[in-house]
Amino acid sequence: MVVSARSRHITAVFAKRWLAGVWHSRFGLGGTARRRAAFAREWRLAFAELGPAFIKLGQLISVRPEEFPRELVAEMAVMQDSVSPLPASVIRRVVFEEFGRTPEQLFASFDDTPIASASIAQVHGAVLAHDVHPVWGETMPAGTEVVLKVVRPGAAEAVLGDLAEARRLLDAARRLGMLKDMDLHALLDEFEDSVVRELDLRVEAHIADRFAFDFRGDPKVEVPRVVWRTTTRRVLTMERMYGWRLTDLDDAAKEGIDGRALAIYGATAFMRQVMLHGRYHADLHPANLFVTPRNTIAYLDFGIVGHLTKTEREDIAQVLAGMVYRDAGRALRYSERLGVHVPAEKVAVVTRELGELLDSMLGSEGPRDFRHFGLGFLSLLRRHGVEIPTGYGLLVKSLATVEGCARSLYPDIDIMDVARPFVTQLIGESLGRPELLQERVERAFRAAMRELVA
Amino acid sequence: MSDDVMRFFAAWMLTHEVADEGLKAAVLRGSGQVQGGMAADGPDAFVDGLAAMVAQRKEALKAELAAGSVAAATADEQKVVFDELRFEVAEMRGRIDEVQGTLETILAKLEAAGPARG
Repeated sequence: MVVSARSRHITAVFAKRWLAGVWHSRFGLGGTARRRAAFAREWRLAFAELGPAFIKLGQLISVRPEEFPRELVAEMAVMQDSVSPLPASVIRRVVFEEFGRTPEQLFASFDDTPIASASIAQVHGAVLAHDVHPVWGETMPAGTEVVLKVVRPGAAEAVLGDLAEARRLLDAARRLGMLKDMDLHALLDEFEDSVVRELDLRVEAHIADRFAFDFRGDPKVEVPRVVWRTTTRRVLTMERMYGWRLTDLDDAAKEGIDGRALAIYGATAFMRQVMLHGRYHADLHPANLFVTPRNTIAYLDFGIVGHLTKTEREDIAQVLAGMVYRDAGRALRYSERLGVHVPAEKVAVVTRELGELLDSMLGSEGPRDFRHFGLGFLSLLRRHGVEIPTGYGLLVKSLATVEGCARSLYPDIDIMDVARPFVTQLIGESLGRPELLQERVERAFRAAMRELVA
Repeated sequence: MSDDVMRFFAAWMLTHEVADEGLKAAVLRGSGQVQGGMAADGPDAFVDGLAAMVAQRKEALKAELAAGSVAAATADEQKVVFDELRFEVAEMRGRIDEVQGTLETILAKLEAAGPARG
């Protein structure tokens, strides 16, 4: 078997971090919590050291709380996708290869200093030379500031090459009986899908257009407009947004931004995405969301988007209603329809434990903590050996992230209160469906008669 | 009118009165479900919340009828459909922009390569 230099490097980095984990957990004698936290931290450092593919993989792990230990998910969530920038000449060459013209021939001006540099792409500022009519929204006049997101040369090859190496190492680890509890092959398959999508920036551009349309007429939500004439697989040109990241809100407060109103509005906007549009931003983190000087929320970066059918939305509304109104039976009954199959012999005990969790986490006075409840719920299902579909886990994690983002704006927000009118309305609307009426009215009538004659 | 018929209507009125009072109480409880102030949980609380929402819709409908704007609601529904169509057309325009960009790129590359030899 031929072992590549990259493969040896990956193995060496993991071996080094594993030894560091053993050391920091005091050879496993420091207790389970300490051991898990130490190894999670070392895994995160190993992923960061190994570059783009592993950084992206880490980000995927951070949105899979149902599959991976809590400590690992928390560590991966703080991993920043930020790398040293490439020289502007390299980015200019990509632009020339894509358009056959220099940035100055395409734009009124182009800034060689990057705005951001991540593992897959680098972002530069530019100014439009001509008016542009976007797919949705006002015309962008000449002189409008835009950003060019440019895929780093070799990023695709490096990421896909590392993916192949990761698969080989995974097989080796399995043969040695390691990593038995984690379905890493499924994770790698999902990773390949998501990274292939991310390497074609036109996909992101289409999603941005769709979001702009979904939030049309909403003065509080902004989505950058796309310039299709200068958008290709490797270059995405879109309107430049200015504002404050959610990690940098002190300055926003000084400018008189109404954090409470924006927190409630942001959470409401997410509920609309899930419940009304069936498309939701599943990669929310403080870097992907701006609060603007106009007292609005601007979405950036549409790498991961969750999709839901009408039926799924109705079932999710029922599950959320179960949570909002602390009705464990309802939450589990409709989770079943979303692919969460609790074995018949365990339904009673899981319902009881879920009820206890709902009471302890969401029954207290004041704002309720969805994040701890959501992760606790997924952990409860795992403990009973219940498989959790990817989309289900992603949605729970996304809701928890929305709560986190909203709380950075306004700590006392109660995401369950924001969810309540949406779920009630969606369920109310679904009550009028003829097939549901046919199924339920007869039962309702019999129940009423039973009450009357009791 | 015989006494039987009177009793029938009395029972009918009583049924309506009880149902109406039950519904009003549900609407009141549902309307009270504000942040941190939920009086109850479980399936009943959900039904109360739904009753409150239906009551809100009823008030909105009354206001629409009073203002004679029910027809406007239908126009709003039409607008949603037309907006979807407009978006589809706009998306096609985006694709045409992209194609035009590709053609300009090909042209720029051909010009950079110099005139073709016959």
